[in-house]
Amino acid sequence: MIGPSRVAELDIPAAGVETGVARPAQSYWNESWERLRENRLGVAAGVLLVVLALIAVMAPILSAVLTHFQPQTIDLDSTFARPGVGGHILGADELGRDTLTRLIWGARVSLGVAFLTVAMSLTVGTAVGMVAGYYGGWIDDVLMRFVDMVLAIPAIFLFILMSILIRPNAITLAAIVASVGWGSVARLVRGEVLSVKQRDFILATRSIGAKDSRLMLRHLLPNVLPVLIVAASLGVGQIILVEAALDFLGLGIQPPTPSWGNMLTNAQSYFFRSGWLVALPGITIFLTVLASNLFGNAVRDAFDPRLKSH
Amino acid sequence: MLAKYVARRFLASTVVVLGVTAITLALMKTTSGSYVPGIDLNPALRPEDIARLRAQLGLDEPPQVWYATWLWNALHGDFGHSMIDGSTVTSHILDRLPNTIELTATAIVIGVVLAIPLGVIGALRRGSKTDHSLTVVSVAGFAVPQFWMGLMLILIFSVTLEQHGLPWLPSSGAFSAYNGGDVFDRLEHLILPATVLSFFYTSTWSRFIRSSMLEVLSQDYIRTARAKGMSERRVVYLHGLRNALIPLITLIGLELPGLVSGGLVVEVVFGWPGIGKLAFERALQYDYTTVMGVTFFATLLVVAGNLLADLLYGVLDPRIRYG
Repeated sequence: MIGPSRVAELDIPAAGVETGVARPAQSYWNESWERLRENRLGVAAGVLLVVLALIAVMAPILSAVLTHFQPQTIDLDSTFARPGVGGHILGADELGRDTLTRLIWGARVSLGVAFLTVAMSLTVGTAVGMVAGYYGGWIDDVLMRFVDMVLAIPAIFLFILMSILIRPNAITLAAIVASVGWGSVARLVRGEVLSVKQRDFILATRSIGAKDSRLMLRHLLPNVLPVLIVAASLGVGQIILVEAALDFLGLGIQPPTPSWGNMLTNAQSYFFRSGWLVALPGITIFLTVLASNLFGNAVRDAFDPRLKSH
Repeated sequence: MLAKYVARRFLASTVVVLGVTAITLALMKTTSGSYVPGIDLNPALRPEDIARLRAQLGLDEPPQVWYATWLWNALHGDFGHSMIDGSTVTSHILDRLPNTIELTATAIVIGVVLAIPLGVIGALRRGSKTDHSLTVVSVAGFAVPQFWMGLMLILIFSVTLEQHGLPWLPSSGAFSAYNGGDVFDRLEHLILPATVLSFFYTSTWSRFIRSSMLEVLSQDYIRTARAKGMSERRVVYLHGLRNALIPLITLIGLELPGLVSGGLVVEVVFGWPGIGKLAFERALQYDYTTVMGVTFFATLLVVAGNLLADLLYGVLDPRIRYG
């Protein structure tokens, strides 16, 4: 789910070519940041994501000032209102609830769950991958066989079973999706650790008596950080899609809390009344995921030029 | 060497399959304890009846005993009976399997047939307008929620066309219940769901073929072939494409479990009577045996797909050694 997934193969016009002019030495982070900034499409996508996040955060203010509706306000006079009718900027649903307001509140769910999922997957995956790669031997074998197992379960089945078990809210839903996502992060981190720990500076650090925990946290972690950043930014879009699908299937965030996915659950029943109800949440998901993917690719190109595709 | 590799992989796979089924059972058990599916719907049942039903269905047994029994029977090809309708799980799977294969295989074939030329064109005309527009389409392909694309296709090709009195496409099922079932009828039902699934495959695979083709074309043997004066067509198709297709095999192999789970959402949207929809509906009803059976089947496909992809990779690319 997270990691050099299919998205990694997307090819986005990347940062400008390095000029041959001599310039002062820069840190890796500065250089990556410069590269990222030069990628206009990537920056635009990043800005869009920030705007969406702000909209999500400001949902209560926006619904008071901009749309003048609450997400659960039922208005039976304007059921299936078309966009612009009855003060509903993007129309209203079968109960007259304002679509724009619900999309804004839905952003909280979708983005919140996505970021939380990424955070959880990265934390668990990094811990497991680092321990497996650092200690090696039977610990590595046991942990990695377990990862194999987790990744071999058709993820959607696992999500279905766990959603029935937990009846998720935003936090538990993130945990459910992360319960698969950490596996690929662990693999990724383990691979990096295996290569980094061969380097001389690790031997040097150990020879002056550094403990395992210090080696892992102070010396290995900073070296796998670029991989983690790339994995995180490429993972967000995929997770938004998974979350929306689970909501749509009725397994994720439950109504009446609006989410982009569960706004579409009933859509099939109202095809004949309003196509807008079907189109709008999907377009929102599409644009958000598109922005996440484009931004993720830009981040990958900037932070890990080795991975850059042609 | 190869035999040893296969044997080791097989052993590892067994562990994975055991683990997955155990995890599934643990989840089902914690989900529902020893709930008998549908029992709360029948007010006439007395407590002693419920107890008798529990014992009969083996729900009283501790999970490890239940699991051992299930595993023993499964190894003998017996996945037990559905807890909902009493027919065998095997018959359920076999009943739905042809529909799922019909949908997924069609989508995969369309995906491959479209992805190869699109990927090659993108690689050969790298940086051109064509290449850029192909990129845009496949970037979009990654970002479209499959279930929403399904809904939109239904909205356009079933609902709107019908409203305007034009010929429209069926939006649900694999064939018409009334007067249906012939080849034409099945094809008609196949168009929309197969479009959704194959759009996804095409956008994924064409990118892979493009970058794999670009990589191959920069190899020394391609330069050698050109230096020998070989025609560009021969270079590209005989030497380039053949090698560029190798990674695709892995991708398709990894898509084998998609036979069961990949199309789940699409099957639900289009009411397609396949295995994914079966698993989804039965999981909601706590039909343990059916869910276990489908999960077992799906995991076997994952493991088999991975192994097959690895082996085929070696056959196609002799440089790869198994160790």
